[in-house]
Amino acid sequence: MSTAEQNDLLVRVQRENFSVDAEINRVRSRSKRIGGISIFLGTARDHSKGRDVDSITFEHYEGMAQRKLREIRERALKDFDILELLIVHRHGEIAIGENIVLIIAGAEHRAEAFRACKWAIDELKQITPIWKLEHTPSGEVWVEEHP
Amino acid sequence: MSEGRMITVKLFGMTKSLADNQASLTLALGKHQSVKNVVELVNKRYPKIGELIYKKKILVSVNQEIAHEDTKVQDGDEIALLPPFAGGSLEGGVA
Repeated sequence: MSTAEQNDLLVRVQRENFSVDAEINRVRSRSKRIGGISIFLGTARDHSKGRDVDSITFEHYEGMAQRKLREIRERALKDFDILELLIVHRHGEIAIGENIVLIIAGAEHRAEAFRACKWAIDELKQITPIWKLEHTPSGEVWVEEHP
Repeated sequence: MSEGRMITVKLFGMTKSLADNQASLTLALGKHQSVKNVVELVNKRYPKIGELIYKKKILVSVNQEIAHEDTKVQDGDEIALLPPFAGGSLEGGVA
């Protein structure tokens, strides 16, 4: 597999669910120097800002979303002492309790893995063009629809 | 509009709801125009969207990068209106 193909697997926006174990193994296999792996898994909760939520639909800007996620991975690899960072975000309708987003950071030691993982999810939420439509008993609401 | 051309503006999230659920807008734009002119056209047709752009709640992107009001718009550019992202606050500037 070419480097470009490998990098494409390390940053993905996809409709289907992902296996956390398989993604951990993808990161683990990148370097034998990895001694600490930190994971953030975002899942769909049934409540938001006082409203019940039945399910959530994620919409993304195809092309720009992937580009921003690649940027986050590249900056994390440059700014933290880590060996690999993987980001997978789902789009489409997601049922309560299901996986939404996964970040995995692999480093020699845990401290940098934790730091990179936290930075990456915070940054993802700031700069990635992904929108969340909550389906509630009283209708659909785009999150932050009432700025 | 003899010198004009049609540009397409992609819509996402709540901007689609505010524009009668269209996925994009087609606007007639003159030559040598900038994001500011695009926003004026959007504002004429959908004042609610225009207001949110002026309030910096909706960002404008050109070729998948956040643009400013003086960013030039050229033939073939990919323009989009980006409402607040799911994660919360937005990065800096805007049109």
